[in-house]
Amino acid sequence: MTMLVDAYTIFWREIKRYKKSRSGILIRLIQPAIWIIVMGNTFASTRPLIQSVGFHGSYIEFMAPGVIMLTAIFTSIFGGVNTLWDRRYGFMNKALVSPVSRSSIALGKMLAISLISTLQSSLILGIALALGVHIANLFVIFPILLTVTIFSLGFSGISVIVAATSKSQETFWGVINFLGMPLFMLSPALFPLELLPSWLAFAARLNPVTYSVLLIRQMMTGTVQMLPVAIELSVICGFVIVMVALASYVFTREVNKPF
Amino acid sequence: MIIIAIYNRSITYFLLYAVETDNLSKVYSSGLKAVDEISIKVKNGEIFGFLGPNGAGKSTTIMILTTLLKPTSGNAFVAGFDVTTNAKAVRENIGYVQQDSTVDEYLTGRENLELQARVNHIPKNVRSKRVDEILEIIELSDRQHEAAVTYSGGMRKRLDIGGGLLNMPKVLFLDEPTLGLDIQTRYKIWEYIKKIHDEFGMSIFLTTHYMDEADKLCDNISIIDNGKIKITGSPKELKNALGNEIVVFEIDSSDKINTLVSNIKKLTTVKDVSIDGTMITVFTTSGDQLTPQIFQHANDLAIKIENISLTKPTLDDVFLSHTGRELREDDGKYDRKKVRERMRRIRA
Repeated sequence: MTMLVDAYTIFWREIKRYKKSRSGILIRLIQPAIWIIVMGNTFASTRPLIQSVGFHGSYIEFMAPGVIMLTAIFTSIFGGVNTLWDRRYGFMNKALVSPVSRSSIALGKMLAISLISTLQSSLILGIALALGVHIANLFVIFPILLTVTIFSLGFSGISVIVAATSKSQETFWGVINFLGMPLFMLSPALFPLELLPSWLAFAARLNPVTYSVLLIRQMMTGTVQMLPVAIELSVICGFVIVMVALASYVFTREVNKPF
Repeated sequence: MIIIAIYNRSITYFLLYAVETDNLSKVYSSGLKAVDEISIKVKNGEIFGFLGPNGAGKSTTIMILTTLLKPTSGNAFVAGFDVTTNAKAVRENIGYVQQDSTVDEYLTGRENLELQARVNHIPKNVRSKRVDEILEIIELSDRQHEAAVTYSGGMRKRLDIGGGLLNMPKVLFLDEPTLGLDIQTRYKIWEYIKKIHDEFGMSIFLTTHYMDEADKLCDNISIIDNGKIKITGSPKELKNALGNEIVVFEIDSSDKINTLVSNIKKLTTVKDVSIDGTMITVFTTSGDQLTPQIFQHANDLAIKIENISLTKPTLDDVFLSHTGRELREDDGKYDRKKVRERMRRIRA
């Protein structure tokens, strides 16, 4: 119980800081917005290919879930960087000499990143809808955003782990850029899995991003079927549980070492 | 608040030492022995000064005592709890004001304190009242709703100190509390430190580079160098140990300086002599008696005294006499070989 209260304290602080950095909120939207506008129109002529695997909308409608996930991936994987600032500028030590447990600091950060990621993704969803992307009905927005929240909670774990183990900003950004883009590309975000070479499709099946994209796409097109959804949800939830445990373990181990 | 202050005072009767270490050592993975078997005792309720040059081991010691680092060997107890086996209890009983400002610039002064109150598990029903009281003490009530980015260096420091007081700690760690502040602000911060010490009766463990600060505030001090404690005592004791007075004089050439110094050392009122080029510093119990004797000895060796002065020892002198006068590298790494070479060159 104390752990959740403590995690909430850290969460409260991160969200307060997020709210005060208004310019950052907009800047982070530029990249996904460019993706959806430029890539969405560049690849518009791939529509027959996509239709051949059973997707009946336009290419923009196909890639919209991918761009929502792009936002979620990058917001959450970048989110842990302030761990490095906190260690450099003392807030971390302040928290570490207080009765708050190390795991709850990691968890609080992950919860905050996950909420921020959801907010950013909801703005991109709004942009997609404004561009004429059709969704089955407005009520699916909530389960879509819930999927983003859960996925981001797990994915922010990567960020927290990399931030806790890196000693410098350079290491952090190096590792994060190495991880972020491939994980995005290696999923059906921009192109259907069915059209990938089998070895790439296999690799994509090992990527939790794949399951989140598929789940969101099904919800947007209103083609939800029980079995695939159950598989996708259990993969995502399993991923989240593993990441939360791993992140709090690594974080606890790393912050006890001298920085 | 009053009840806690009384409680803190009553603890004094049961607990003898606020901080106690027993052969505490820390060896980093690089092989650097930052803290070398130190044993310190900080009496409950006192302000204890922990002094030392850059890289002497002050920060490492403070990090061990505040549970941020684990010692390699030895024991340390803070507020009666073992820092390795009972870290949580230690954390509940200490306040730690770091050297660098930890103020969150995005948040207001009040939000900064509220955050720290939450982190320190101060119950919701007293949190807001406690924050009000602390803001009153550090005189920031009128600007509590402004973002901390607008605060001056002194205000940020006060906010940091306020943060360390929120949980009414039994032991407050102040790491270089007045570093980089102007004279007016330093005096003000000293006032706050005295005020909170009088009001709450907690023990204060203070590190500083400023000898005047240690002299003004501390009941007892320890000087650490190269990871070892060099000396412990009250500022007055340490100054007296050097002798009541200091005679500093400069001679025209260093030819017979060693003979002169050894002759001076034989005098009964002399406690210690140190040489810096042609400048000789003599610590003595009686400067009035010594001065004519110095002239006599110099005369016998045909040495001319260029100038001479008589002063009282300060804590600076105590510090220098125990840590030496060589310059330290700022990064904390201390190259013994280089120093030895330099010393050899000076002696030759």
